[in-house]
Amino acid sequence: MRAVLACLAVVASATVALAHQLSVFAFVEEGQVIVESRFSNGNAPQVGEVRVLDGENQVLFALDLAEDGTATFPLDPAHADTGLLIEVTTGGGHDNYWILTPDDIAQGTGG
Amino acid sequence: MAFGSIITNRETFDVKHAFTATILSAAVVSGSAAFAHYGMIIPSDPMLSQEDGRSITIDVSFSHPFELAGMELVTPVSFSVTHDGETTDLLGDLQSATLMEAAGFTLEQGLDRPGVYVFAMEPQPYWEPAEDSFIVHYTKTYVSAFGDDEGWDTMLGLRTEIEPLTRPFGIWAGNVFEGRVLLEGEPVPFAEVEVEYFNEDLDATAPSDLMITQTIVADADGVFSYVTPDAGWWGFAALNTAPETMAHDGQDRTVELGAVIWVHFEEWTGE
Repeated sequence: MRAVLACLAVVASATVALAHQLSVFAFVEEGQVIVESRFSNGNAPQVGEVRVLDGENQVLFALDLAEDGTATFPLDPAHADTGLLIEVTTGGGHDNYWILTPDDIAQGTGG
Repeated sequence: MAFGSIITNRETFDVKHAFTATILSAAVVSGSAAFAHYGMIIPSDPMLSQEDGRSITIDVSFSHPFELAGMELVTPVSFSVTHDGETTDLLGDLQSATLMEAAGFTLEQGLDRPGVYVFAMEPQPYWEPAEDSFIVHYTKTYVSAFGDDEGWDTMLGLRTEIEPLTRPFGIWAGNVFEGRVLLEGEPVPFAEVEVEYFNEDLDATAPSDLMITQTIVADADGVFSYVTPDAGWWGFAALNTAPETMAHDGQDRTVELGAVIWVHFEEWTGE
């Protein structure tokens, strides 16, 4: 499983070096996972899809970005020990990801 | 399996050279007294990626960086970080450390969100008897977190400061670095700018003492440009003389005001 996730991450990282690079960030606050994305020129993507994967590389669900480039979903405590991989795709070859690590989750939940 | 364990195994971008250590001769080192002084703020990583973690370490010192000749840095007047328009005082977080065989400081700093973090120091005036002058180097460096470069041209309003006209990180060795020298908020026509390499692995040697510190002059608008010959940390110090003097041994002495910016240039990775 480690190799699978490592490959996934390497593939993902190979896609980030584009003009108007998409930046993705996520954090936990008050039991919610808040996803933020924006292009390197500061603009928020108007449309896009967020895919959330668990520590076993399984897609848990997908949701749409809001017009301000954000998305929010409740944190399932079951993922606190494994972390989450959050992918954002906006089309036009712009995609990126953020790994919400167990430490990130612990920090956001006061754990 | 936790992602935390995966991160430590992932390939990361190594910005450092495959340095070959070269020992400087004693003669070169002994000549260091007359070379340029630099306030230094050197982060462990100028571009922190999420794979690298969530924090950096920062070394704060005062030195001749080419010769790795440290000088004592007493507790600065201020040390801060500015991010997204907010400045945070970090003076109380500095930990005493020995850097380049002299007293300096280090700190561990978490970077919680993407963006650019500007670290800055105002040191206490340093009396330099060899130059019969006090030296005050307002020093700063820029760190990008998690692939976001918004705020790379942030200005801090320091008494004297170099405005980066080139993004001061993520720049290839061999690219032009351009900046504007400001004093009291105004451009300094024909300001003198000294440039020096942080020879942290003693991989560089100088065929002449004249090669240790490069000297350039800004144009009428205070704009200067420089092309570094190799990757690594390079310090740019714009030097001006303060209108006021300070007393030493009962006499008025001049005060050199330095605007220092440290920029990391990356090794070209193409063929």
